[in-house]
Amino acid sequence: MRGRRSTLSFLLAAMVAGGAAPGAQAVAPGQPAPDLRLQAEDGKVVSLAADKGKVVLVDFWASWCPPCKTAFPEVDSLYREFQPRGFDVIAVNLDERRRDAEDFLAGRPHVMQVAFDPEGKSPRAFGLWGMPSSFLVGRDGRVRFVHVGYSGKVLDSYRREIEQLLAERP
Amino acid sequence: MQVRQRRGRSARVGTSLGLIGLLAVLALVAVTGLDWAQSTLYVQLHSFGDTRGVTVLSPLVDLEKDFSDRTGLRVKFGVDAVTAASDACARCHPQGAQDRRTYADFALLRKLGSARLELGGEISRENFYASESVTASLSRDFNRGNTTIAGAYSFSLNNPELHPSRNVEQQISHDASIALTQTLSKTTIVQLSYDFNRISGYQSSPFLRTSVNGQMVLGVVPDLRNRQAVSVRVRQALHAGTYLQADFRHYFDSWSVGSNTLSLGASHYFSPVWLVGFSYRWYDQTGAFFYQPEYFGTPEYFTADYRLAPFSSGLYTGRVVYTPEDGLFGLPKGTALEFQYDRYVGSNQFQAAVFSGGLRIPF
Amino acid sequence: MRQRTRVMVLVGGVVLCSALAASCATVQPWERRELANPCMVFDASAAQAAYDAHWQSAREGSAGGFGFQGGGCGCK
Repeated sequence: MRGRRSTLSFLLAAMVAGGAAPGAQAVAPGQPAPDLRLQAEDGKVVSLAADKGKVVLVDFWASWCPPCKTAFPEVDSLYREFQPRGFDVIAVNLDERRRDAEDFLAGRPHVMQVAFDPEGKSPRAFGLWGMPSSFLVGRDGRVRFVHVGYSGKVLDSYRREIEQLLAERP
Repeated sequence: MQVRQRRGRSARVGTSLGLIGLLAVLALVAVTGLDWAQSTLYVQLHSFGDTRGVTVLSPLVDLEKDFSDRTGLRVKFGVDAVTAASDACARCHPQGAQDRRTYADFALLRKLGSARLELGGEISRENFYASESVTASLSRDFNRGNTTIAGAYSFSLNNPELHPSRNVEQQISHDASIALTQTLSKTTIVQLSYDFNRISGYQSSPFLRTSVNGQMVLGVVPDLRNRQAVSVRVRQALHAGTYLQADFRHYFDSWSVGSNTLSLGASHYFSPVWLVGFSYRWYDQTGAFFYQPEYFGTPEYFTADYRLAPFSSGLYTGRVVYTPEDGLFGLPKGTALEFQYDRYVGSNQFQAAVFSGGLRIPF
Repeated sequence: MRQRTRVMVLVGGVVLCSALAASCATVQPWERRELANPCMVFDASAAQAAYDAHWQSAREGSAGGFGFQGGGCGCK
């Protein structure tokens, strides 16, 4: 009985302890951001390389993801606010069907760039482990902040982090 | 006089609890400006009627609110207005009898990395039955969310009140369960679970009488019941907005009641706005080892509880969900109206019909 | 009745075996579009599932067995 009880406690502790650790293999802060070359809404090619010297938020989203729906207009507002100071957003859509993305975008006017990656090459390169995920890339082309999931707290973090990165010189 | 006072008191307690529950819900709804994530308010009305002469009208309010990306709260408050003209009640109440069950349910949810902890409880009160329970559950995702292992434990203290003697009995229930949820493909997901429930204490029906040597007496059943269930559930997405569901449960307990439940269903989106589903559930159970339609001699256990007799049944369920593009009645986009109709037909001449209507509001 | 039971256990076994026989692929977090649909979530409506379990266990000799929500978009 004692043996069974201690096994159970160990299992429970392992589950919680293991759970508290961060997810595996996401591109870590400090590492160079993987190259990104995707097609945008207007058909043109969008790439991270073209944004060198700017602070870029690479935001991965999909039309079926409820937190992404909440985040979308807020990220667009961030873009409007910080763009004049050298900030850019690449909102990478991961819908496997373009139609789903188009239906989503039709009802949501936006200014930021939306790029499409139906095959999922870029999230794989970034090591994405949860939806939604965003990567803030500094002027030096390195990933500086990673956020998985979305909430008002994340939005507040974005502001602080973008301000910090904009203040840096390349 | 004493009986009337005690009935008045339990009604008062029920009402107080109801008010507390309502206030709690309102307080939570009023609390805005906190860190927002997905929250849902669900208002439902169920109408249940069966051939034993019982009708129940049950409104309930279920609020699920995320306070941060790590913490959530769920509060549920409901009332079952039970009207019984059943054979048991008709003995003394030929015009029928009315009862009200009030219940409040709450749970605190906390994310710890890939793990999720939930602590909660429920309080339920009605004329001849009081119940309190506490629950704890822990779940953890593995393999990029493809595998989830979950475990839960709950403890309940139930107090049935005998009628008309007004003696209060006690019943304690421990329930432990585990489940494994596994994604098999982009369109297939399966869940396996095992549930163990141990109930000790008074478990007879306080109302139903059976014939022992020609005399009608209240039943006497064992004080201990160990119940186990194993289940497997599958969900499969087909092309063109069609989904299949299959659930199977095998149940067995220490009173020799054993059952198999198989339910198969399909849902289809006729448009992004209209979802229609249908399912059929087969149910088949053996009787308790001590069940007899009537008893002779000196049986140790005897019961009139029809739930301990062997029988089988079929349950037809139809469901419609309406989620308009731009919200409903001025409520936010994503608000959905749901309707469900259930028709239960038992081989023991028992039948029931249930109608449920609900409004789900995300905010 | 035993025949009926046997048939149900057999169908249940077939469902289980076919489910497990399909290869367990690792589905990436961004590939969960279908899994995110409420029709694919176990007990998507916890309140409805609790109500159904409540009246069914009040009219049958069995209880429990289907207690867990599961699946879904897996969004963090």
